[in-house]
Amino acid sequence: MIVRELLLAIGVSLKTSGLAALVASLLAVPAALYLAGRDFRGKRAILLINQTWMAAPTVVIGLFFYFLLSRSGPLGRFGLLYSQAAMTIGQIFLILPLITGFSYTALRQVDRRARLTALALGASRRQASWVVLREAKFALLVAVLAGFARAVSEVGIAMMLGGNIRNVTRNITTAIALETAKGEFTNGVILGAILLVITLGINILVQVGFRSKD
Amino acid sequence: MRQTAYSLRDVRYVYPDSPAGFALDLAALRVESGEILALVGPNGAGKTTLLMILAFLIKPAQGRLEFFDETAWADERRTLLARRQSVLVTHHPYLFKGTIFDNIAFGLKVRGVPEPQWRSRARRALDLVELGGWDAKTAAGLSAGQAQRAALARAIALEPKALLLDEPTANIEAGLALRIEAVIREISRESGATVVFSSHNFSQASRLADGILYLSEGKRVPFSHENCFSGTAGSDGRQGWIEPRPGARIVFPGRAGGHVTCVINPADIELFGADEPGAVADGPNVFGGRVTRLETTEADSALVRVSGDLTFRVTLPLREVESRGISLSRRVLIKFKPEDVEIIGSEPPEKPHV
Repeated sequence: MIVRELLLAIGVSLKTSGLAALVASLLAVPAALYLAGRDFRGKRAILLINQTWMAAPTVVIGLFFYFLLSRSGPLGRFGLLYSQAAMTIGQIFLILPLITGFSYTALRQVDRRARLTALALGASRRQASWVVLREAKFALLVAVLAGFARAVSEVGIAMMLGGNIRNVTRNITTAIALETAKGEFTNGVILGAILLVITLGINILVQVGFRSKD
Repeated sequence: MRQTAYSLRDVRYVYPDSPAGFALDLAALRVESGEILALVGPNGAGKTTLLMILAFLIKPAQGRLEFFDETAWADERRTLLARRQSVLVTHHPYLFKGTIFDNIAFGLKVRGVPEPQWRSRARRALDLVELGGWDAKTAAGLSAGQAQRAALARAIALEPKALLLDEPTANIEAGLALRIEAVIREISRESGATVVFSSHNFSQASRLADGILYLSEGKRVPFSHENCFSGTAGSDGRQGWIEPRPGARIVFPGRAGGHVTCVINPADIELFGADEPGAVADGPNVFGGRVTRLETTEADSALVRVSGDLTFRVTLPLREVESRGISLSRRVLIKFKPEDVEIIGSEPPEKPHV
C-alpha cells in the first residue's frame, strides 16, 4: 500500500466517523435531555427500543440502508450508495442509540436540584437545560467519544454502503479487511495499530482540552 | 407608600404524585414590601411548597398570586422576570460544579449584569456570610454549613426584591446561626428586600420576623399547637418553670415572670420504653405516658404522640421506633433538656398574620 492511499483511507475514516459522531450527538444529547427530564407514558418502551437498537449488528444497519439507498430503493434517486455520505448516514444510525443511552445515564446522574437551582437563580428554561448539560459534561464527552469510537472501528456499514472504493470510500477498517483477504497480514496489523493510535490521540486531545478549560 | 410584595388569594397546590394527597391551601396572604415573614410549622406542613410558589418555581393549580401588583404567571416573560426578583435558597442547597465565584456569577450572568461588577458583588456577598476570600474555593469541598452560607451569598449577590429562605440556619452551628440572622436583618434593612423564611424554631421566628405564618397540613392555622404549653411561671432564682397541670412541671433555664408560653421542638425530645434499662424516671422534664398515636411522617422519621399528664409529640428516626419496640399504647417515658424549652413570650405570640 502506498503512503498516499494510506493517508486517504485515514482521512475517510476521520471524516465520515467524525461527522457521524457530530450529527448523532446533536440529535442524541437533546433527546437524552428530554428523556432524563421527565417521566411519561411510553418512556420505558422508548428506552427498551433504544437498548435493543444499541445491539444492532453493523451489517443489519448496512443492509437496511443498502435497500433504502440502492438505485431501485426509495431513496435511490439521490445516488448516494457507495459514497462517503452513505457511510456517514449509516454510522449516524449505528451510534445514535449508543450516544442517547450513555447521555441519558449521564444526565440522570446530575442532581435533580441542579435544574431547580438554576431556575431559582433566574435562569430561563433553556439556560437551566444548559446548566444540566454542563454539570454532566465529562460523562457526555465520554458518550460522544464512545460513539465516535464505535463508528470509526466498524466495518460492516463502511463496506456495504461505501463499497471500499480505492481513494474514495476506502477507510482504515475496509482496508484492513482487504489486506487480510489478500494475505497481506503485515499491512493489516499496521493499519490496525494506526487505527488504535488515532483513537487514543483523539481521546487524549479532547480530554486534555476539556480539563484545561475547567 | 409601602407596596405589597406578595398577594395571594385562594391559592391551592396539589402535588401530582403525592400518595397522601397533600395540598397547600391558602385563603389569603399578603406580604408587604420590606417585611420579614416567618413560616412556622412541622415537617410536611407546606412551608417549602409555599416558598416554591413564592419563588415562581411551581405554579399554583388555582388562585391568584400577585407579585408587586403583577400577575407573574400571565406569560413566560413575566414569570421569568418575577423569578429573577425572588430568589429561593433551598434547605439543602445545590452548588454547581466549579468555584464559589462561578456559582455567584451564574445568577449575575443570566440577569445580564456587566461582568466587571461580578467580582465586587461576589466579594461583598461572601463577606456578609463570613466566607470572605473563599471565591476561588471549589464547591465540592464545602461542609453543609459552608455550602448553605455560600448559597445564601449566591442569592444575596443578586439583590432580589424578595429573598426566600428555606430553613436558612438548619445546617449552621448555633453561633454562626445568630450571625446569619443578623445578615438577614441587615439585608432587609439596607436593601429593603422582602424576606420570607421557614423555620422549625419558634424563638428564631419571633426574634427575626415581623410576622409569623403558622402552617399545618398545608393550611394556615392560628397557632401551631405542637408541644406548646403555658402557665404562670415560678422560679427559684436559678431556673424557672411552669406547671400547665398541677405536678407536671416544665423546667427551663433562667428566670421568667408572668404568664409564660413555651414550646418544645418534637425533635428535641427523647423517648424511652418505660421498662427499658436506660430509662431514668427522675430529673427535670421527665414525663410518663402512653403512646396514643404513631405515624410515619417522612421517609425516615416517625411522629409519636405520648399522652400522660401532658400530651407531647415526639419525632424520632423510624429505626429507633423499631429497635426500641415503640408501639401503640405502650408505656413510655419522655425527656428533654431545660435548654430545649423555648420561651416564645409572656403573651400568646404574634397575632395570626394577615
